Amino acid sequence: MNLSGSENVRVRVRYFASIRDRVGLEQEEVETPIGTTLSALYLTLKMAHDALEEWDRVLLAVNGEYMEPDHSLKEGDLVAVFPPVSGG
Amino acid sequence: MNMILVTREDFSVDEVLRELRSKEMGAIVTFVGVVRSHSEGREVDRIEIQVYEEMAKAELEAIRRDAIDRYGVEDVAIVHRYGSLKVSENIMMIAVGAGHRPEGFDACRYVLERIKESVPIWKKEITPEGNFWVEGEEHGRKG
Repeated sequence: MNLSGSENVRVRVRYFASIRDRVGLEQEEVETPIGTTLSALYLTLKMAHDALEEWDRVLLAVNGEYMEPDHSLKEGDLVAVFPPVSGG
Repeated sequence: MNMILVTREDFSVDEVLRELRSKEMGAIVTFVGVVRSHSEGREVDRIEIQVYEEMAKAELEAIRRDAIDRYGVEDVAIVHRYGSLKVSENIMMIAVGAGHRPEGFDACRYVLERIKESVPIWKKEITPEGNFWVEGEEHGRKG
């Protein structure tokens, strides 16, 4: 995926559990304009993968930490997309 | 043993308690989660557990430190398995070493509820009727 723009950052997206099964990918690399927020990235992902759920049904982490929707992504960030957890 | 362990292998409750034990403790409260043979009316043959390992370890460590600070307990050990687990096998264990039992019980329950809210681990039930991901009700980390 490449959103056109003069300056892009590349992030890696990992999917887990039911979302991994539905999307059919463990991970992918995505190019997105500098300053893209986590919520904007998710909308881009959702356009590419019909199987992705609505924003409020998923949890998102950046580099292993939960982040707010307005968090801006940087080059090399690792974004994780997953359903509500069920460990324990 | 590190006090946080995320592992495919089974664990020994005795071994975890031996590592945890210290002279300041007057009570060790232990919780062991195991695989149940049924879920929501369905038979369960086994479960498969998937984990986002790097993040899960960091979250578990944060919960451990938080429980120690919040309840003033001496130490907390948390073990969680992943992979394919049969009925009655161990899934996870929490052990809280405390001066006295009240804070030990409270901290143990707190750790369990926090794990169920925020640690990126998922169970899939393998049943005669098909395979079903279990999804938690809680969304995201709670403060």
